[in-house]
Amino acid sequence: MKQMMNGGLLSVPGLRRLRVMTQKELLQLFRDLALMVFFLYSFTGDIYLAASGVSMQLKNAAIATLDADYSFASRELASRFQPPYFQPAGSVADARQAIRRLDDGDVMAVLDVPPRFQERLQRGEQVSVQLQVDTSNSVLGFLASSYGAQIVGKYALEAAAQREGLAASGGIAGPLVEADTRVWYNPNQNDAWFMGISELLTVVTLFSILLPAAAMVREKERGTIEQLMVTPLTSFQILFPKVVAMTLVILAGSAIALFGVLGPLFQLPMRGSLVTFFLITALYVFTTAGLGLLAATVARNLAQVGMLTVVILMPMLLLSGAWTPIEAMPPWMRGLAWISPLHYFLDAAYGILLKGVGLDLLWDSVLAMGGLGVVVFAAGMRRFGRQFG
Amino acid sequence: MSAPAIRVEGFIKRYGKRVAADGLALTVQRGEIYGLVGADGAGKSSLMKAVAGVLAHDGGTVEIFGAVIDSERSAEQVKQRIGFLPQGLGLNLYPDLSIEENVDFFGRLRGVPSSELAARKDMLLGMTRLDAFRARPMRQLSGGMKQKLGLVCTLIHEPELVILDEPTTGVDPVSRRDFWAILGKLLEEKGITALVSTAYLDEADRFHRVSLFHEGKVMGEGTPAELIARVPGTLALFRAEPQADALPRLKAQFPQTEAMGAWLRVFAEGLDATQAQAAVDTCLTTSASASTAIQVTEWFAREPELEDVFVAMLRQRGARLDTSLPADAPTAAPTSTLAIEATGLTRVFGDFRAADAVNFAVPQGEIFGLLGANGAGKTTVIKMLTGILKPSSGSGRVAGADMRSAGLAIKERIGYMSQAFSLYHDLSVVENIRLYAGIYGLDDRRARQRGDWVIGMAGLAGFENDAAGRLPMGLRQRLALGCALVHEPRVLFLDEPTSGVDPIGRRMFWDILFHLSRREGVAILVTTHYMSEAEHCDHLALMFAGRVVADASPETMKQELIASAGQLLELRVDRPVPAQNALRDAGFANVALHGRAVHLLSHDADTDRERLPALLDKAGIAVQSVGLRPLSMEDVFVQRITALEDAGRRSP
Repeated sequence: MKQMMNGGLLSVPGLRRLRVMTQKELLQLFRDLALMVFFLYSFTGDIYLAASGVSMQLKNAAIATLDADYSFASRELASRFQPPYFQPAGSVADARQAIRRLDDGDVMAVLDVPPRFQERLQRGEQVSVQLQVDTSNSVLGFLASSYGAQIVGKYALEAAAQREGLAASGGIAGPLVEADTRVWYNPNQNDAWFMGISELLTVVTLFSILLPAAAMVREKERGTIEQLMVTPLTSFQILFPKVVAMTLVILAGSAIALFGVLGPLFQLPMRGSLVTFFLITALYVFTTAGLGLLAATVARNLAQVGMLTVVILMPMLLLSGAWTPIEAMPPWMRGLAWISPLHYFLDAAYGILLKGVGLDLLWDSVLAMGGLGVVVFAAGMRRFGRQFG
Repeated sequence: MSAPAIRVEGFIKRYGKRVAADGLALTVQRGEIYGLVGADGAGKSSLMKAVAGVLAHDGGTVEIFGAVIDSERSAEQVKQRIGFLPQGLGLNLYPDLSIEENVDFFGRLRGVPSSELAARKDMLLGMTRLDAFRARPMRQLSGGMKQKLGLVCTLIHEPELVILDEPTTGVDPVSRRDFWAILGKLLEEKGITALVSTAYLDEADRFHRVSLFHEGKVMGEGTPAELIARVPGTLALFRAEPQADALPRLKAQFPQTEAMGAWLRVFAEGLDATQAQAAVDTCLTTSASASTAIQVTEWFAREPELEDVFVAMLRQRGARLDTSLPADAPTAAPTSTLAIEATGLTRVFGDFRAADAVNFAVPQGEIFGLLGANGAGKTTVIKMLTGILKPSSGSGRVAGADMRSAGLAIKERIGYMSQAFSLYHDLSVVENIRLYAGIYGLDDRRARQRGDWVIGMAGLAGFENDAAGRLPMGLRQRLALGCALVHEPRVLFLDEPTSGVDPIGRRMFWDILFHLSRREGVAILVTTHYMSEAEHCDHLALMFAGRVVADASPETMKQELIASAGQLLELRVDRPVPAQNALRDAGFANVALHGRAVHLLSHDADTDRERLPALLDKAGIAVQSVGLRPLSMEDVFVQRITALEDAGRRSP
């Protein structure tokens, strides 16, 4: 192997140039202490926080009761709001106090049981209870009201059955449709998996833009780029090694995140072929790095690179479907999503890691990503060539 | 009874582990122009900032007008009496404000009453010839104008002490002379004191007294004449053929030997003129075989300059000048092959002609100097010739190929070193060399050989694994040169390669360039704004506003100046400013103040030497001495440009 490295293919001047330039990029990156600390944190600590902290489930939502009936039935209903979804937070005396606790953010919901609740229930009259929900966070608000409706509905069904003299546990003899769900790919509906992968992909995207752009603009600031321009290096030989070096580093970071954090700490299954996953990640980094290089041809210094990275990253994330399914977007945005490489990467990454699918199903995503990559990289090279040609 | 303007003792300043100033001491009397002379990083700026009260120091005492500066509050108390111009062209000014708005801002900031402000503004803007441009935004000014505006803003509150940090760095020689003239006049009229730093050793004679700075220490203090007298010796300028053989032989005996174009320049320490000539003759004629005796053809001996003395002082402290270049390498055969050829080379940015029909030719083996102020177009020309920038019209041929259509192969014959010493600061010395070896496609064996050569040539042994960014400037510069030479190019482009390097480093650098041109036949194109360095070149092209306005050898340029404007006379007088005015009134056009001496150009030097003392005596000025001084390239430059500017004003 060593023989081949020294005397074989890589001694051809063109390849030798690519090799020394790639080595140079790696050396420079490893010596940038601040960047390395940021990099390592992002691929470990940040992903750990995302996987363990962020949840889109309703957990322990504080609920207070405004009980105007003080009956067995009203206490029974209130007592059904229990963990894991809800957390009883005492009772309130009147409507004003209820509103104040909601305003304070002290409770998330207030269950309002009217007077004569039990009496009317026993008489077979229709009776309403009110659930006031704080929906500032629309997802959680929606979950709280629908779980609340389910709990109330179930109680109502039981109350009706009891009145008809049927045993509460015996079920109802009448016609009834029961929805029976099978949860695939993430049977425990473990948020850590989704959030962990999503964060990993975000971090990969961030560094794919930032690292090559920073490396490029640093050469501009120091004036070394002019030195490179007078050497017999082509634009490709100057730009491509940056992408190769950064791809290698980001793949290493992803491996650390998968095998050091998501695997051992969150039992992420990694069902598909990891080779395929890393190959697709490499392709994705290449595609996105082209965007970074393009940004570097515009930026004059590192601060501008930072700003441009945010400007590129935010819409990429929004359009990718990482936060919202693409189907839920307005049509014109859906169109844009097709040119966000992250969209394809998400498909592929979830597909491989959680569903265990292979290239046979993902080939279209891979092809689209590769196509985008070539176009963006070519555009970056063109701009670079015009700037310094 | 009055305390000195500035008294500094045992001044220490550290930045982290690096000691910037190590026990500095100096005293500046009121009414003096006091100079701090030294290379970048010698500690000048740290001292000036501490004196200006904007930087805390780590040890020693700083007294201003007798008041000790040891706290924020004590500094505030003297600030009203101080004016400080920080380093960097116009860095303290606001680019979007006009000249007038900048002056007004600084005036109000300093609480100058508006009635006085108007009068002072008129006076200062008039003196600096900026009044015609009052409404022009600062960012559109030339370097020289920015610096003059900076001076005006520093002086607007009539401080008793002005502190000017490298006010002339990067400013063209004409503006530089203006600057000194204005400063001298103001100091004389207002009786204020000035502390001024400079990286140009040849500016030292502008000061009444100077401190020579080197690596955080003061190497010597006194009047320029006193400092020069501290290392007695003779400066000899002569021709001896073959020059390339004479140089190493002389260097063995006189370490301070330099090649200046076709001339040799030797500082014979401790010898008078006669002894020096005898010693040089003996050195060149005594040899193992009589056939290799070298004859001195032309000979001039004179008093050494401050730089010679400075280098001698550094040598006494153990600094070494030798590089490990082989002294016995064969001399390259002279050739007339053109290495670089610019024909009508033009580059237009918008409606600005950065380079305007530039023509010149450089044969193989020549050191060609491109001179000019910042913005004159030097860098644009180099960029076009190296293929970084496409010319708008005209062509540049390098190593026989047109750069516009040159393939990558031609780039393998070119070496380039930019002003910024384009090294990777985070890579070590060896890593930098290996990188460039790889980029130029050298195989492993040759990369190792050339790497060893670079380390030997640049004197980098022992620094192989140090990060390039941590090297001292001189070493960093030679490493950058080494990286540009790793592939043995036939043509070498150097864009202001000596900015910020100390005199020892500059000398070693020029030794290497001489070796490359004479022994290896490399064509070298170098740009510089150090006029004293221009004399190292075989041939010069002077650029002004994008055009080449003179193209000749340094010697020819000086002869032409003598023919057109006369010889340089130096008068030492007791009262320089009135003397300057009296001489101007007597009809001399080129009178300039140099510390306590006055310089002027005279068409008839012999007659003027006789009659000037009497003329000044009538004005009540005592002349201590009158003498001929050799013309410098700066004199040539200033004369040429002033003539062009005058012509430009007459026909706008």
